Amino acid sequence: MQNSFPRGVHPGDRKALTKDKPIVPMPAPAVVYIPLVQHLGKPALPVVKERQKVAMGELIAKADGALSGNIHSSVSGHVRGVETLPTHTGSAAHIVVENDWLYTEKRLRPLKNPKPADILERVETAGIVGLGGAGFPVAVKLRPKTAVDTLIINAAECEPYITCDYRILLEYTARFVSGCRLLMRALSLENGIIGIEDNKRDAAAVVEAYIKDENISDLSVRALPAKYPQGAEKQLIFAVTGRVVPSGDLPADAGVIVHNAHTALAVHDAVCEGIPLYRRVMTVSGEGVKQPGNFLAPVGATLNDALIFAGGLDDRKRVVKMLWGGPMMGFALSGGGVSITKTAGCLLLLTEAEAETASPTACINCGRCHRACPMRLMPMYIDKYIFMDDAAAAVRYGAKHCIECGACAYVCPAKRTLVQSIRLAKKQIRERGL
Amino acid sequence: MDNLTVSSSPHLTERRNTTRLVMLDALIALFPCVFAATLFYGYQVILNLAVCCAACLGAELLYDLIRAKSFGREGVRQSTCWDLSCLVTGVILTLNLPAYAEIWGLNLKDAAGGILLSFDALLAVLVGGAFAVVLVKKLFGGIGRNFANPAVTARIFLMLCFSAGFVVSSTWADFGLFAKSGATWLGTDAGARPGLSGKLFLSMILGNVSTMSVGETSLIAIGLGLLYLTVRKRIDPRYPLMTVGCAFLFSLLFAGIDGADNASALFGDALAQVLSGGLLFMAVFMATDFSTSPNTLVGNAVFSGGLALLTVLIRRYGLYPEGASFALLLMNILAPLIDRYIVPRPFGYVKAKRPAQKKDAPQAPGKPDIPDKTKKREEGKA
Repeated sequence: MQNSFPRGVHPGDRKALTKDKPIVPMPAPAVVYIPLVQHLGKPALPVVKERQKVAMGELIAKADGALSGNIHSSVSGHVRGVETLPTHTGSAAHIVVENDWLYTEKRLRPLKNPKPADILERVETAGIVGLGGAGFPVAVKLRPKTAVDTLIINAAECEPYITCDYRILLEYTARFVSGCRLLMRALSLENGIIGIEDNKRDAAAVVEAYIKDENISDLSVRALPAKYPQGAEKQLIFAVTGRVVPSGDLPADAGVIVHNAHTALAVHDAVCEGIPLYRRVMTVSGEGVKQPGNFLAPVGATLNDALIFAGGLDDRKRVVKMLWGGPMMGFALSGGGVSITKTAGCLLLLTEAEAETASPTACINCGRCHRACPMRLMPMYIDKYIFMDDAAAAVRYGAKHCIECGACAYVCPAKRTLVQSIRLAKKQIRERGL
Repeated sequence: MDNLTVSSSPHLTERRNTTRLVMLDALIALFPCVFAATLFYGYQVILNLAVCCAACLGAELLYDLIRAKSFGREGVRQSTCWDLSCLVTGVILTLNLPAYAEIWGLNLKDAAGGILLSFDALLAVLVGGAFAVVLVKKLFGGIGRNFANPAVTARIFLMLCFSAGFVVSSTWADFGLFAKSGATWLGTDAGARPGLSGKLFLSMILGNVSTMSVGETSLIAIGLGLLYLTVRKRIDPRYPLMTVGCAFLFSLLFAGIDGADNASALFGDALAQVLSGGLLFMAVFMATDFSTSPNTLVGNAVFSGGLALLTVLIRRYGLYPEGASFALLLMNILAPLIDRYIVPRPFGYVKAKRPAQKKDAPQAPGKPDIPDKTKKREEGKA
């Protein structure tokens, strides 16, 4: 069977910084700023009043629409109000909660032997969204419109530096596997595959051994060659099942549902322990950090809090980039005042030696971007034509199909900002209705 | 943490991967050919090489300085000549010309009339190098924007201007296969060609034959270059192999059409066509030129096939024996068209489905909005 996808690149995984650091719970700060947008859809609607006392895990904002998600408080204390604050992609309303340091907890009722409908309902109530980064509400994916036969758990973690899923597999194996099986039960499936890159063989071995010990027959582990972007949904589906998801269609149309490894853990916590999603495992890494590590971070703490918990910046090194997410697809930030959300998997502080800051030179037409593109596009021409304001040509060379993985810009010898050009092309294509 | 760079993803790029390093790899890959050429055709090759590279670098620098109207240190620093692509052009051009020329009668000769130092050749490569860089590359926008390979265009320019002036380079031991005046195997009338013997093939593989272009004869040197470029992943080795393979097949085909009656004549001719002349060198170093070749596998297959066909056709039926250069120039011009029409389908591509058309229907009343928006934007720009 197929175990990889065509093309792609091999950036060094750089996971050694945090690979062996156990997950440490990170204390919540005195005040948490919980964004109302932690998912794909509309902002959640606040259900708390000013000065209201809330418990840890209490619902503070309700989903508004299908692609929205419930939001719970990550500390116990008093609501100070709603403020509009910057996020990693713009700005959003945040519910500000003052920590009373009591950590009074409010859990949901743990479910025993839940029916698929119960799991679905609980996933919705607990505000679980895809924790891989996009924040797509999980409940929506659990209600596929077409027949599905396979669940793939995405533990590829192909981005350099990030180790949160790897640590989850190693340390929370039982909870993770239970979460996978709950997802399968919710979809009434008997075939689950955990896709993991072969540079994390130890984690794969641990999960495999656990599955064997527990006599679980419907779940298997598939080692995939370490290659970027192995964790991209369509590439992963192709690597694991050999199926191609037609462009514009959902994975469910190819009979597959993909969930992130961390999502499985969150599902277990919500269903079996009644803990809604208000904390997540996050990797703080990069040469610029004094003590890089994996932290169980409360939603609403700021990145600066996480950085201070990681020992702060290394004074001997000059940090040039602060990233939200991995180095290939993450967002560069101008400061750490941004709140941690459900989708914040990684905070990176990269030094000059690590991050790319070279300015672009002329394209030499070498074609490496095309040979690296997992979607088989021709980035060099999209880049060229969008600078000529020719969006129609950008469509011809596949701009609409771009997954923005950054493989093209990674291999470019001229350091062209290809992904940025393609984003521009996409925007112009949308505006012109092409 | 004051001066954080905020930029678009990805934030990593491959280490040790810049335009200059790509060009440096090309220079390293060309080194065996330079070495073989010097070995077989003498020190004049090194002199030509130095003058040609200096001409290319100087012409690019001067062009950039004049264009930028900045003649200080900053202007020199910002010139694109430091990406070393001009040196690659210089080396390829030198290797594509004979070592000696007799054009203006400036050569230094020994008592017996042999050329000691060919100033004519030095002048010719100087003109050729400047022509290649300024007229073929820089005027069309510099690296990546030139429509034709600078070296091959400059070679054709020199060959047409001074066709009588270039002296076929004889080697120190060409086994007495050709007349003293020195004729290339391809340049000799088919009837007068020396018999196809093992000795001839051996010398063709080593590169120890008379030739018009000093760098293109040694199969071993070219092979080493190809190996290096392949190992460094700078080029896809399938493309030159496709060119050479196609040329072999087309040679067989045309030899058959022309009535070669036995296998040895048929295959011997095809083999010699491939081994002799500029085909190998061109296939490895010039047809793989990034700017002037297609970027897709299928596109390159078309390009290689066309190149091989044109080469064989021009060699067999044209007036010029050196068909490879003309063939390459013609295919260079076709390369953008190939990339225009041969575009691979994206992963998971499906043809527009029926529902997509249905979607269009309700949009129809809203359609006038779209051109309006575009108009407004264009007005705003104006």
